[in-house]
Amino acid sequence: MRGHRSRLALVNAVPVTVFLLVLFVYPIIGVLSLSLKGDSGGFTLHWYADALSGVNLSVLLSTLRISAETAVLSLLVGFVLAHAIARMRPVFAALAMLIVVVPHFISALVRTYGWIIMLGDHGLINTLLTSLHVPGAPFPLLYNETGVVIGTTSVMLPYTVLVLQGVMRGVDGRLLAAAAGFGASRLTIFRRIYLPLVAPGIGTAGLLSFILCLGYYITPALMGGDKQTVVAALIDQQVMKQDQWNSAAAFGVILLLLTFAGLGVLGLAKLRRKKAAARRSSS
Amino acid sequence: MMELPATRAGHIGRALSATAILLFLAMPIVIILVTSFGADGIGTFPPKEYSTHWYEQMAAPGGNWATSIALSSLIASLTTVFSLILGATAATALARGRLPLHTAVYGLVLAPLLIPQVVIALGLFLFFEPAGMLGSPLAIALGHTVLAAPIAILIMISTLRGIDERLEDAAASMGANRMTIARRITFPLATPGLIAAAVFSFITSFDEFFIAQFMSTPDTRTLPVLVFNALQFDVDPTVTAVSAVLIALAVLALALVALVRRLGGHRDGRHALPVEPLT
Amino acid sequence: MPERTRSLTAAKLSADDLAAALAPRSSSPTGKSLSVTGLSKSYGGTTVVDGVDMEIAAGEFVTFLGSSGSGKTTTLMMLAGFTEPDSGSITVDGRDITELNPGKRDFGFVFQQYLLFPHMTVAENVAFPLQLRGVDKAEIRRRVGETLEAAGLSKFAGRKPRELSGGQQQRVALCRVLVYRPPIVLMDEPLGALDKRLRDQMQTEIKSIQRELGLTVIYVTHDQEEALVLSDRIAIMKDGRIEQFDTPRGLFERPRTPFVADFLGAANFLTGKAEDGGGDDCTRVRLDTGGVLTARAHPCVPGQSVRAAVRPGKLRLVGAEEGCCSGTVETAVYVGSLTRITVRLDGAAPGTQPLRIETAAVPPRPGERVCVTADRDDVSVFDATDGG
Repeated sequence: MRGHRSRLALVNAVPVTVFLLVLFVYPIIGVLSLSLKGDSGGFTLHWYADALSGVNLSVLLSTLRISAETAVLSLLVGFVLAHAIARMRPVFAALAMLIVVVPHFISALVRTYGWIIMLGDHGLINTLLTSLHVPGAPFPLLYNETGVVIGTTSVMLPYTVLVLQGVMRGVDGRLLAAAAGFGASRLTIFRRIYLPLVAPGIGTAGLLSFILCLGYYITPALMGGDKQTVVAALIDQQVMKQDQWNSAAAFGVILLLLTFAGLGVLGLAKLRRKKAAARRSSS
Repeated sequence: MMELPATRAGHIGRALSATAILLFLAMPIVIILVTSFGADGIGTFPPKEYSTHWYEQMAAPGGNWATSIALSSLIASLTTVFSLILGATAATALARGRLPLHTAVYGLVLAPLLIPQVVIALGLFLFFEPAGMLGSPLAIALGHTVLAAPIAILIMISTLRGIDERLEDAAASMGANRMTIARRITFPLATPGLIAAAVFSFITSFDEFFIAQFMSTPDTRTLPVLVFNALQFDVDPTVTAVSAVLIALAVLALALVALVRRLGGHRDGRHALPVEPLT
Repeated sequence: MPERTRSLTAAKLSADDLAAALAPRSSSPTGKSLSVTGLSKSYGGTTVVDGVDMEIAAGEFVTFLGSSGSGKTTTLMMLAGFTEPDSGSITVDGRDITELNPGKRDFGFVFQQYLLFPHMTVAENVAFPLQLRGVDKAEIRRRVGETLEAAGLSKFAGRKPRELSGGQQQRVALCRVLVYRPPIVLMDEPLGALDKRLRDQMQTEIKSIQRELGLTVIYVTHDQEEALVLSDRIAIMKDGRIEQFDTPRGLFERPRTPFVADFLGAANFLTGKAEDGGGDDCTRVRLDTGGVLTARAHPCVPGQSVRAAVRPGKLRLVGAEEGCCSGTVETAVYVGSLTRITVRLDGAAPGTQPLRIETAAVPPRPGERVCVTADRDDVSVFDATDGG
């Protein structure tokens, strides 16, 4: 029966494997080979040199900067929210999780549009601030980096909250109480006990939102100004308007490599934790 | 359970910050729902006058919006069918069988969820362009399946894991053959998961932008592509009504999944986002 | 069948009713015989079942008894067809079924976790195996109705399994198997999840149904008492082998290995030397602590080191009998109908266990001097090098 089972599994694994090899892996190899192909058909690194210099380089750098800002912000906001949810009464916690999760299933375009309505000079936020006579209001919140980071953060937040909530649920409240029993202050408990316990989740959540941000461009394209062009938007322009496929492919490969690097860090951290756990349990 | 007692200040601080952040998440959505019924169409909030004008505009037969809604529905339906076929088979292999190269296949399935979608879209563009298939609903649906099938597979895997395999053994011990077991035991028990997989495949495709954008032609633009263009170039207030409909669709879809799960006796609402395999 | 009112909680099942409802209309006996030869299974180099041989007669109730890891469940799974044996064969009434799929064997299998189908009602669960056999609808309705009625479950026919208590669920699971009258029923710790009182009641029910219908039942448990109550014969398993396959009385009175003596009777072991002239009929053991025990006839060589096993209830306290072993009472605990005492024999090496004795007579007090002996038929002798 065992032989039969692995045969059955093999047959069932065929459709998805073939499908993804043809429509996912092969096209990405196509991107890779196009990025290395010169105008006359020979091998070249010209497109990469082009992508890593001048205006293109600054677009790449601003993509990294926006992704990093988004990762940090969604981590901070996500941490505060996840921490609060972990200590809420179950009914409120469920409600809060609903508000976190439901938007994830609503088109990002729509959510971005909501932000555009809210952040404009006559939008809800500025109207509110002006009516409160906050000095400097109305603030320029749209078509600049502030707007972009606010928008992308709201898109990434469900991921960070869910990841962080997962590790926070795993923290044994009795450990914190025990530390308090030794006379530790709240700050010390937070810094020396709580943070180290949730640190793996913080790393994962931050990297995950950074990675997902890299190739994202709905929000930057709609809420950013000229200076907030990101790599993905550049790829779109080069394909749809300028017919520069090779250059687009080179940018695609750069995004891919950055993503792999991020995933590699995630994987290494996970491996280290596993090894440490194995050492602990074997000793 | 013993825990650190909460201080009053901490309690209030947490409540306030949580409320602010939840508002941050919910406000853009609420605002769209309200402005879609505003008469002026420039997004004044709150609107001075209410009307359903933009909804009528959206539904006008032969208009851009109605056409793209029909196209998106067609593509999403095709995607759902493809994803369910791939999802059911792949999940059976990954959750039930003793699959050689299990990790490799699982990694392949997860990869499309982590690779930048713009790269996948570019690859598909380069793949379908030489075949002259840009703008073909079938090609777009196949592209969407690259993103939707992994989600369907993850849902189906967790569904199958939730079904006690020995129930199938029990049926076998009474003389049921493989077909009967699948039809009478596994399939009925997996129905809530199948419905969830179908719903999420459908909205994944219906909301997908990158692939649809790269593979669109002036004649075939899906709803998200049209929305994007409307937001970037034209100022067509109809987009508020369209957005409100997309919100309603998502909420209805989630409610349907929650309902089916509850009827099926599943109480846990987790597995909502495919983040668990990553952590 | 007369209408009866049954209380839900007590659900006193009349097992005879259930048996009557299930009894075949024809006069052919229900059970079949089963024969197993050289059944073995190993997982990744670890041998789990190691050459099991047994003959089970039609209508016999046989139990595999052993601790976890003894191979009893794996053996049952191979009989059921869920696990493929590495070698060996299984025949039913002379027909080889080793290669057959579980469903083709026409066995019934009762699982520990009940495994009722959660999406079907109680009645649908019981009807399921009949539907598989193509029984016509009216007949299914009749047989399901009769079976549930007899099991005191009629009221629950339309309910889903999760609305039932554990005992009720297990009763449904039993009905679901018995309704199609399989000649051989395999049960894997079916009462393991129930509380003691319910377990006792279900044991009685299972036993009388089996006897009534003449079913062949093969049962797995780690509960000795359950095995003794239910079984015609018990196979004691250890390390994938059958240590002894015998009636409960045979296991108690003539344990073939120290393991069986210890496992079933919690025997006292006394070391000593064979005192006879050798051969197959040795009967005397001179104990290392002094004193002589007369034992059942066993093979020995003169002066051989042996261990004598005597169960606590079979050690007798005597005044001063010839050859008795003297010692001092250490503890005496009254546990109801009898008293458990421990006795340290004179000359026992420090650190060895004191003798455990159960007596219904007026017990001696701690510190009192006593002399201990046992009847010849209650003493089993093993080679000192035998494990156990």
